[in-house]
Amino acid sequence: MTEDRKKNNQSANDQDMMKLVENLNRKEDVNLNRRAFLKASFGTTVALGLATTPFGIISAVRSEKEDSNQVEIASVDELAIGEAKNFNYPTEDEPAVLVRTPDDRYVAYNNKCTHLQCPVFYEKKDNVLLCPCHKGYFDVNNGHPVAGPPQRELPKILLEVKDGKVLAVGREYRHG
Amino acid sequence: MDKKRVSFLSIFVFLAINVISLSKVIEGFYGKEYGHVYSFMIVALISTGLATIAFFTWRKQEYKS
Repeated sequence: MTEDRKKNNQSANDQDMMKLVENLNRKEDVNLNRRAFLKASFGTTVALGLATTPFGIISAVRSEKEDSNQVEIASVDELAIGEAKNFNYPTEDEPAVLVRTPDDRYVAYNNKCTHLQCPVFYEKKDNVLLCPCHKGYFDVNNGHPVAGPPQRELPKILLEVKDGKVLAVGREYRHG
Repeated sequence: MDKKRVSFLSIFVFLAINVISLSKVIEGFYGKEYGHVYSFMIVALISTGLATIAFFTWRKQEYKS
C-alpha cells in the first residue's frame, strides 16, 4: 500500500517538473541571450553608421554641381540704387531677387517665402523684403525674418562682381 | 571595471552616438546644410570603427575560456 502511494507521488512529482519546463522554447532560449543581444546591438550600430554614407556621397555630388553653376544676373549699371531685379537661380524653377541696397551693395536671395512659399518682393520705401501673403518681412541685408510668420531666413545667393557684371556663384541655406 | 565590461557597455554608447548622428545627417541633407552632413557622417564612421574594435575586444574576452 505504501509502496503504491510512493510510486504515485513520484510520478506526480515528475509530471509537475515536466510542466515547469513546458513554457520554455529551446530555440528562443538559445537565440535570445546576452551574447546575442550584444551582437544584435553591434550589428545595429554598424548599420546605422554605414547608413550615413549615401547621404554624404549624394551631398558631395550635389554641392559640386551647385559650385560649378555660375550665372550672370545683371550688369553693374543696370540697377539703380534701391532697385531690384528678379531672376532664377540655380535652376529655372527657383526664383530669386537681386537688390542693390541703399548703401550700394548687391544682395540676392531666393524669393520663395520660407513660410508658405509665396513670392517675396523688395520694398524700397522701408528697405525690406516683403511677403504680401501673410505680411512676412525679411531684413534685406541678411535675409533673416524680422516680422510676421516666417521663422527661417531666405536662402542667400552668393554674388561676385566681375568685369562689370553681377554673377551668382553659389547658395547658402543657413547663414548669419 | 574590467576590459570586457567596458567594451560591452561602450557598444551601447556608440549605438546612441550613431542614432544621433544619423538623425543629424538626415536633417542636414534635407536642410541642404552639407557641412553638417559631412561632419556627422565622419562622427558616425569613427564611432562605427570604435564599436568594431570594442566588439572584437569583448568577443576575445568572452570566448577566452
